[in-house]
Amino acid sequence: MAQFSLYRPWAGASWGGPADQLRQEVDAVLHRFGGGTTSSSSWRGVFPAVNLYEVADAYVLMAELPGIDHKDIHVSLERSTVTIEGERKIDYANQEGVSLHRRERQVGSFRRAFELPALIDADKVEAVHQNGVLMLRLPKSPEDQPRQISVQAS
Amino acid sequence: MAETNALQAREKQELQGETIRPGPVFRPEVDILEREDSYVIYADLPGVDDKSIDVRLDQGALTLDAQLATLPDTSWNPLHAEYRIGSYHREFRLSEGIDASGVSARMQNGVLELQLPKSSQHRPRTIPVEAG
Repeated sequence: MAQFSLYRPWAGASWGGPADQLRQEVDAVLHRFGGGTTSSSSWRGVFPAVNLYEVADAYVLMAELPGIDHKDIHVSLERSTVTIEGERKIDYANQEGVSLHRRERQVGSFRRAFELPALIDADKVEAVHQNGVLMLRLPKSPEDQPRQISVQAS
Repeated sequence: MAETNALQAREKQELQGETIRPGPVFRPEVDILEREDSYVIYADLPGVDDKSIDVRLDQGALTLDAQLATLPDTSWNPLHAEYRIGSYHREFRLSEGIDASGVSARMQNGVLELQLPKSSQHRPRTIPVEAG
């Protein structure tokens, strides 16, 4: 099977800069039809971290987005590029009469785009946000799926 | 447009040391805040639901243990992995001023909210002043 890897031209550049609040980053798949797993060591910290799986007729993309209402998550698809964007808000941080003793949970916006190894059937994409985990089922377009061609006797 | 920060992805903190369970165990990120009459703990536990979490309070020690309820099917072929999955564990030592019998917990969108009411003698009181 062929290699699967991600290409990030802007990874690591201008972290947190004011002009960089909405990162526009496309993770392009260089080689189609993945085999081996890319490890997390090649990943450079763009939120959200995602895991990508393949099933026979679809890709499944998972991202951990705890504490984000499904209405604050926007998913769009153009050809084989899927974009996830949204914002995590924490309302208690600025409330009166509240003192924060520990602050580890982050707030802020995110945007990330991925190019998948095959064309996606946009009409059949399913997005579910369950227990703070976003699951996108991205069916491969019929024209990109392997087909069996029957051989007929002449 | 309102000022917003870009979220930064952080690698999960894996707990080191002896564990009795197989697989990685992560330390969830928490916020702890104090209100006039209570403390509240929020913990990020993506993939966990109300049935897969165990909250234990024993002699001032509060322990969270959680397993994943939302997780990938083992038949799926992994192509690319940026985050690891596993169970969660974290412990807190509560101050004496907490009313252990009034502690309540709720899971929503993969976040645990723990309400820890202050015991009555630790709540602020207003003392009425009488005219003499």
